Amino acid sequence: MSASPSRAGIGQGRLAAFALPIGTIALLLVGWHVAVVASGSDLFPKPLDVLAGLVELVEKGLLLKYVVASLFRVTWGFGLAVLVGVPLGLVLGWWRPAFLALNPVIQALRPISPIAWIPVAILWFGIADAAPIFLIFLASVFPITVSSMAGVQNMQQVYLRAAQNFGMRGVPLFRRVILPAALPQILTGIRIALGVAWLVVVAAEMIAVNSGLGYLIIDARNAGKRYDLVVAGMVMIGSIGLVLDLLVRRLERIDSVRWGYGQR
Amino acid sequence: MANADPIVDVADLWMSFPGKQPDQPVHVLERVGLQVRHGEFVCIVGPSGCGKSTLLNVLGGFLGETRGTARVEGAPVRGPDPGRIFVFQENGVFPWLTVEQNVGFGLWQRSAAERDERVRHYIAMVGLQGFERSYPRELSGGMRQRVEIARALAANARVLFMDEPFGALDFLTRLKMRQDLVRIWQSENKTVLFVTHDIEEAVQLADRVLVMSKRPATIQAEVVIDLPRPRDLDSPGYLAARDRIFSIMGMDAHGGGVS
Amino acid sequence: MRPLNSVQKLGLGLAAWLALISLLHGGLNLGWWSGKLAGAATQERYRVGFLPVTCHLTCPVTDFINKQTTGHGIFEPVRFSGWPELKEAFLAGYTPATFLLAPMAMALREQGVPIKIVYLGHRDGSAVVVHKDSQIHRMQDLRGKRVAVPNRYSNQRLLIFRALNDAGMTTADIQLVEMPPPDMPAALYAKAVDAISSGEPFMGQAELDGYGRVLWLTKDVWPNFISCVLAVHEDMIENHRETVQELVDGIAKSGKWLDQSMDHRMDAAQFVAKGYYNQHPRLLEFVLSKPPDRVKYTNLSLRRADFEEIEKLGQQAGILKGTARFEDYTDTSFVPDDSVIKAHDWPGLPKEKR
Repeated sequence: MSASPSRAGIGQGRLAAFALPIGTIALLLVGWHVAVVASGSDLFPKPLDVLAGLVELVEKGLLLKYVVASLFRVTWGFGLAVLVGVPLGLVLGWWRPAFLALNPVIQALRPISPIAWIPVAILWFGIADAAPIFLIFLASVFPITVSSMAGVQNMQQVYLRAAQNFGMRGVPLFRRVILPAALPQILTGIRIALGVAWLVVVAAEMIAVNSGLGYLIIDARNAGKRYDLVVAGMVMIGSIGLVLDLLVRRLERIDSVRWGYGQR
Repeated sequence: MANADPIVDVADLWMSFPGKQPDQPVHVLERVGLQVRHGEFVCIVGPSGCGKSTLLNVLGGFLGETRGTARVEGAPVRGPDPGRIFVFQENGVFPWLTVEQNVGFGLWQRSAAERDERVRHYIAMVGLQGFERSYPRELSGGMRQRVEIARALAANARVLFMDEPFGALDFLTRLKMRQDLVRIWQSENKTVLFVTHDIEEAVQLADRVLVMSKRPATIQAEVVIDLPRPRDLDSPGYLAARDRIFSIMGMDAHGGGVS
Repeated sequence: MRPLNSVQKLGLGLAAWLALISLLHGGLNLGWWSGKLAGAATQERYRVGFLPVTCHLTCPVTDFINKQTTGHGIFEPVRFSGWPELKEAFLAGYTPATFLLAPMAMALREQGVPIKIVYLGHRDGSAVVVHKDSQIHRMQDLRGKRVAVPNRYSNQRLLIFRALNDAGMTTADIQLVEMPPPDMPAALYAKAVDAISSGEPFMGQAELDGYGRVLWLTKDVWPNFISCVLAVHEDMIENHRETVQELVDGIAKSGKWLDQSMDHRMDAAQFVAKGYYNQHPRLLEFVLSKPPDRVKYTNLSLRRADFEEIEKLGQQAGILKGTARFEDYTDTSFVPDDSVIKAHDWPGLPKEKR
């Protein structure tokens, strides 16, 4: 009663933003533990077993190595996807003949799982880092291309007309108007694609690479009864995925794209 | 002024769009003819959907006419021209640029010093000092329209085509924007062709009001508003001009149609 | 200088991240700095593909002993996690030599791949394992049950065929499913399948962890069973015959060394489990010793009769057409006589390290 209601509301909001997700995670962990104990399984690890597995990986110096390896492959695969996907999508969205020529091919390639590409990746790129990078590239380039294309196609006509009215055409028109107008949608595509890129890291590392979090999972399966390490790999992938998403969300707060995301 | 060549010269302009059936095009404009002289402020009024925006888009170079001639500044319209800036109803201010970047947009080929100078001048003219670094989403609707007008003026446009620019604003803001527009027009010596469906707005602003008919639209009447500015909205001259336009459009000023 | 805007900051940040992650990866995983110095001295080595199974044990053993005795390996062992990737890397030429399932190598030859089997990987070393609580005690009890095999080209599948033949049954009597061997123990534990069959150590794992029971070992059904072979690309034989000879000699000596004494096998369990397979040494110790003839590494030269039996069963199983013969898919010239092969002259791990 003493504090003003709006201040109390803000304070509760901040507290809730931390307490709610942490509470959920704690509940899930407890539920997990209880479920494993209740089932009497000695194969499936309990949360503390997974923590011990993580500690073991840290002590062996493997965790950092594997995280770095996976992030390296995702950085390059995803980075190349952005470099190819954004310009390609802009051209497809702007120039109708290119759209007519390429869109069916893109839409046909898009639903193919990266796992199906593994043989192709090995035949083309061998068994070093290039193959998983290629798979991650493939998985993320299509969402980026399609969202960039849609960004141009859905651009408000008035921006184009205003720019043309000022005598702008060609490259300056593209750089100063079409790209920024499509940017919010491009960023949304990039965010989705980053999730996908991180998602396929396990599949991509099924190839004979000998590092990475995906490899950790596959390797732990080879290692006999090391499901604690399998789950440790899953936990790490999930946690890093969360951090990546938070980072990309920050991009949406940049002043020149914030207009595209409504009031929040 | 009377013997000078008209800035805008439209003669026997027809405009049709393809209809649902290929052999039945929709006729929007028929036999439209009008002239606007240098420095004149002309309003076009007409019922909603009659084609007045279409006519303005033809003059702005965004649409090609079906038949007839549309000449601006002595030459047939071939496309958009930086000397003739269109001010859009839905607001064409770029949301990814700040106010000063927007106002300077049309000066993208000029030097930075010249651009800064003009941008400062026109931001002051439309009364947006203090908002130079703001983004459009942080401004009110009226402020955004001021940005768009400043952008057109900064680019040194000789002609402004304004397509219901105040349509989305509230009543008080509209009144203020009209006053400011007239002030700016008087000091800058521009030619303005202003489309609106608001008869009061047309009478408050224009030297001449062109009244369009329903679709297929043509210029139905011309009403010269020979009243001193700033205009007294209670003066008999103002009310008479307003009522005359109402009656041309088939209504009386006190509500209800006569037809 | 004007302060950086957010886009420039973002660009700089991304460039810094790209450099950082690449350098870290190079340093931690690719050995850019340590490798440069060591790698400069040694020649470019060819790769040999293998899986972490006892069928391919001679591959890491050879590499390890080479490194112990000469200080460097003669080839680079590359570990895969599944048969398809192993095969594809060979087809793409990244591993000119590889350990491979015998029927798969034969099928590739029939399909026109220039592949030659030059030596065997092992004999025996497979089993059919059922859940210890199940009522399955004979082959006949598997009627209507779900049996996991690693791959349609695996010898385990042929082994099941042969056992079915012996029991007067056909494949119609059981339900065969393909499953990667590492997943088999968990599948059996969860009773998702009734029986599993693959190379070791995955059968041993189910046994060791207490829920698996051996229905039979390969030696009981198909004595001297061969499953995996060392296969080489024909180009390599033509262009680098002496290299292939060196490889086969090393593998053959490793086999002899492994079968020389149980101490050697226990040493191998240690260094292979830790350095190559990343498994628990206990698991390899178990399958290499209980019983000692669970898997064998002697008598590994190529014999026509063994392969003709695989041809016959392979055709019955629909994986071979019979268009490639022993002469086509093997090259026996590297080890004409297995009995002259001597074990590596290496005493094993120093005792204090055990």
